[in-house]
Amino acid sequence: MAIKMFDGNGAAVEAIRLARPGVIAAYPITPQSSIAEHLADEVAEGKINAEYIRVESEHSAMSMAVGAQLTGVRVATATASVGLALMHEVCGVAAGCRVPIVMPVVNRSLVAPWSLWCDHSDTMAERDTGWLQFYCSTVQEILDLQLCAYRISEHENVMTPSMVCFDGFYLSHSMQRVDTPSDEDAWDFVKPYVRKNMYLDTKDVMFINDLCPTVEHTEMKYQQKVGFDEAAKVAKEVFAEYEERFGRKLQAVETYCLEDAEVAVVTMGSMSGTGKYVVNQLREQGIKAGLLRICMFRPFPAEEIKEALKNIPIIGVVDRSSGLGAAQGPVCSEVKAALSGMDNKVFGYVGGIAGRDISDGSFRKIFGELLDIHAGKADAVTTWFDVRPDAMDMREVETNVNV
Amino acid sequence: MQKIKFYGIGGQGAVTAAKILSIAVSLHQSEYAITVPAYGHERRGAPVFAHIIVDDKPVLLNCYVYEPDIIVVFDENLIDMGVNVGEGCTEDTIMVINASNQEIVDRYKKEYGLKKVYACNATEAALKNIGLNIPNSAMLGALAKSGVVKIEAIEKAVTESFGKVGEKNGNAARYAYEHTWEA
Repeated sequence: MAIKMFDGNGAAVEAIRLARPGVIAAYPITPQSSIAEHLADEVAEGKINAEYIRVESEHSAMSMAVGAQLTGVRVATATASVGLALMHEVCGVAAGCRVPIVMPVVNRSLVAPWSLWCDHSDTMAERDTGWLQFYCSTVQEILDLQLCAYRISEHENVMTPSMVCFDGFYLSHSMQRVDTPSDEDAWDFVKPYVRKNMYLDTKDVMFINDLCPTVEHTEMKYQQKVGFDEAAKVAKEVFAEYEERFGRKLQAVETYCLEDAEVAVVTMGSMSGTGKYVVNQLREQGIKAGLLRICMFRPFPAEEIKEALKNIPIIGVVDRSSGLGAAQGPVCSEVKAALSGMDNKVFGYVGGIAGRDISDGSFRKIFGELLDIHAGKADAVTTWFDVRPDAMDMREVETNVNV
Repeated sequence: MQKIKFYGIGGQGAVTAAKILSIAVSLHQSEYAITVPAYGHERRGAPVFAHIIVDDKPVLLNCYVYEPDIIVVFDENLIDMGVNVGEGCTEDTIMVINASNQEIVDRYKKEYGLKKVYACNATEAALKNIGLNIPNSAMLGALAKSGVVKIEAIEKAVTESFGKVGEKNGNAARYAYEHTWEA
């Protein structure tokens, strides 16, 4: 173990290096670019003994990754935003062919309008693609969760790929100290990749991803569903082993000051630390505030969330994507479903879109509203908590004014 | 906890400087830091901001700095570029500025009501020691005068971070530190 300095992208590269991939295929995209670049450096300098395949798109990157890993090597790739959207089709192939790829995804808004900045719309659009999803809250956690993700994804009862998601700029470009295991200790934990079930071998040819008749297709999906069920159990075991070896606690759901809380927020990603900071401030004032952070979004830890939140009367869920057309943001929908039949009141918040900062002030506003509801002084919240009041007047086009 | 905001122009290395400051306090002072850069879609020539929070314990906050304890101004022309470096400042806010003369410093002090100012001709320090107009290492040296970080920690972090030109950058930081005046 050594304290090293990494930004989020650097931590992702370090985790990949420690897992010793044999093939790398990545296409650079802001704010992921330095992952693709540094992986190329590591290969050029002989620090990673891998074939680095230059590809012309993310669709090709994921196709390369799937094909290569099916031959029996661990592969590496990484993406963000529209790059992930372009991968969408092949992400389904990886999941359905049970190729346990572990991929860092640097969270960035989807189009339109174009944005380079952070929100969760990219990975939320992939939430039902058949990948496990972990959301990091610190740079340390990027390294930790990625190392664990190899073990969870590659477990023979899981065989399901993972996205290790972390917020663009807030984590990808934040330089932080990272307790880093030695190459030997990390390798002893991650272990060599062993292909299981389907494989590509020119001497032993088989069809993979062929047209599957209806009479078997449901069963293929059911197998994936069982993989997710198993992933929840395996994640628990792997997190426990990781803590024993490296001393850092990881969990599907992190609870913060929830035991006696009267109001709580549910967060995901880099906003969580800021939320905890405000919880501390409120606690100093004698206000019973708490926070629940979802670290593993797929499989969704519904039981743990229900157990942690069951006694908290007022809950606000902060979604960093808009969930357009839904009754609320995607995280809030799932939390509400987990708590269905309970007496809590759950309110959805949407904000932090396309890099809008979720500050301590944002959380003070949210907690203020939740406390008003708890006190019976209000019965609704400002769902879009950081939208500008002039939203409906912006970018209005006056057509044909000269006609 | 110290909240610091860097103001620069694309190409001056302000975002890199934020990362190096994090290295200096984390590795060489056993403290903690987070850094959040914020720049426009443009690169060279456009205003660039970086937000840094330093503490002696792990930093929970992971957002922009709105009420800075210290502002670091990498370019004296920012005042004429519509960038309000005084945003969120009080008279206790310390400014560290790359300035060619006292007159420009006085303009900043008057415009933003700042009292505690450290000024340094970081551009000159960079040209003299590195031969390039990239003032970031020199500005970190000047920042050390504010007491938020030790000059030795900055020198080490700068030297480690710039590879072949590490020593020259370390010299620029030291030179700037020694030529910073309380303005």
